[in-house]
Amino acid sequence: MKRPGGELATRPLHFIWICDCSGSMATDGKIQSLNNAIREVIPHMLKVADENPNAEVLVRAISFSNGAHWHLGQPTQIADFKWTDLTANGVTDLGKALSMVAEQLKMPPMTDRALPPVLVLISDGQPTDDFESGLQELMREPWGKKAVRIAIAIGEDAAHDVLEKFIGNSELKPLQANNPEALVAHIRWVSTAVLKSASSPASQAAGAVSPGGNVPLPPPPPAGPSSATDVW
Amino acid sequence: MSDQPLKSEWRVIGKSVRGAAHVRSGLPNQDRISWTPESGSVLPLIVSISDGHGSNKAFRSDTGAELAVRAAQSISRSFLTSQTEPLNHSTIKRWAEENLPRELVRHWQNDVADDLTSKPFTKAELDQLQAKENAEKCRQVVLNPVLAYGATVLTAIITESYILYIQLGDGDILAVGEKGEVSRPLPRDERLFANETTSLSSEKAWLDFHTHFQVLSSLPPALVLLATDGYANSYRNDPEFLKVGPDILAALRSDGVEKVNEKLEEWLVDASTNGSGDDITVGIVCRLDALKAPPASPSDVKTQSPESNHACAKPPLLAKTQVLPADTEKTILSHKSTKNHLTKTDPT
Repeated sequence: MKRPGGELATRPLHFIWICDCSGSMATDGKIQSLNNAIREVIPHMLKVADENPNAEVLVRAISFSNGAHWHLGQPTQIADFKWTDLTANGVTDLGKALSMVAEQLKMPPMTDRALPPVLVLISDGQPTDDFESGLQELMREPWGKKAVRIAIAIGEDAAHDVLEKFIGNSELKPLQANNPEALVAHIRWVSTAVLKSASSPASQAAGAVSPGGNVPLPPPPPAGPSSATDVW
Repeated sequence: MSDQPLKSEWRVIGKSVRGAAHVRSGLPNQDRISWTPESGSVLPLIVSISDGHGSNKAFRSDTGAELAVRAAQSISRSFLTSQTEPLNHSTIKRWAEENLPRELVRHWQNDVADDLTSKPFTKAELDQLQAKENAEKCRQVVLNPVLAYGATVLTAIITESYILYIQLGDGDILAVGEKGEVSRPLPRDERLFANETTSLSSEKAWLDFHTHFQVLSSLPPALVLLATDGYANSYRNDPEFLKVGPDILAALRSDGVEKVNEKLEEWLVDASTNGSGDDITVGIVCRLDALKAPPASPSDVKTQSPESNHACAKPPLLAKTQVLPADTEKTILSHKSTKNHLTKTDPT
């Protein structure tokens, strides 16, 4: 007797890096620190993905400066994920990037059996385009609204109000990185702890879920006091 | 067309398996299944399944699921014995829609209260909650401990003259005709998305129930399948999942009920391991005379939800009436949903 039903499949979990590549990211080694941090966490992401074979983690990356473009447009399994260095130059068209992400979160190509996507925004400055329109486009999509949205602020000049609007969850603040070590710690947290939570299929009672609360997140790494190692 | 009841023999089988992800993380099976009568072969039949949420806050949801199927069975039996006019379908339907969900929720809440009285939250349970959730979430559970028991409930009541389908929360009920055609008696609820589900633990949960009352006049479904969401989530898309209907019907015809019952656990474990990783529970009610019919070719069978995306594949409310020939059944104002909006008051 054959097993009933058609093709079985694990549940896709889309993980999207949204990276600021504006000119200011070229100063004080920010963009290279970002490149190094993402490259460094790939083995940790692979370990988390291996621990939960029922979630198919698919990584993408989009960069924004003068406009936005998919740095890694094809949803890529962690095992095949290799990071190509980003370079920084131009303005900060975050709205365009969010609009392009929103397009990818439509159903289809997404399916409703997916696990909530994880969107990680990393930025050091103020948007120069219509950020609000891009965010609205994102939040119009059911998966945009239900995505786990994390923001990492690089340096003191980052637009915290913009990052908080992107997160849309009063219980979760942007993660502040004022030096390369902090950036690595934050990126490791989203790549491991957040990824692990998002890949767990526990249900939540709909009425008791706060915005962004459909995936309970572990506590983020401590921000730590300002230190002499702060360079941004 | 006569409304006289048919004399068919039915049989219930079912299994519940612990999800592959639960095995890895040491979590128990948080699904439950129950049916009445225990023999699963004498009408009226009542089949209930439940899926405990398993979230950090719902740390007693395995008990919540157990209490859910018990409440569903108890209230359904009371519902059946209270019918003084078994063929007065309008009255029965109205009572089912208006009273049954509220009675079921009340019964479940009372059982939860009893469980809490006999087994108050332990320090270990609360410590574990505090380790995983922030202070506000912990406060919500302490103030409203019923949240710890959150669970769904799906039930089918099969009598000689009608079938009543009841659902709160995620999961699937499929009706399969003699030719293998599949339909969903209840519509998909768009709120059931991204790990969120309506729940017995929600405020005014009875408003979130969906019910469907189907009068059986000549040809009832060949089988009715109830499944927790871990089953559908294990398939590539909805059409791939819907193939389980005709495939199980074909297996019942070719190999018999006992053989299918023996294989069911293996199938569900395979689905969880290579699919969602979630607990999976399936209850199957089959009409024995339909198993004697010539077998349908499973792969050729058309399903009622052709789109691959659940949220996009919104079947019409009267999906069933579109699938079967007009004289095979009679639906009285087929479907009832008491609440269709997203906004709910947070119980906290």
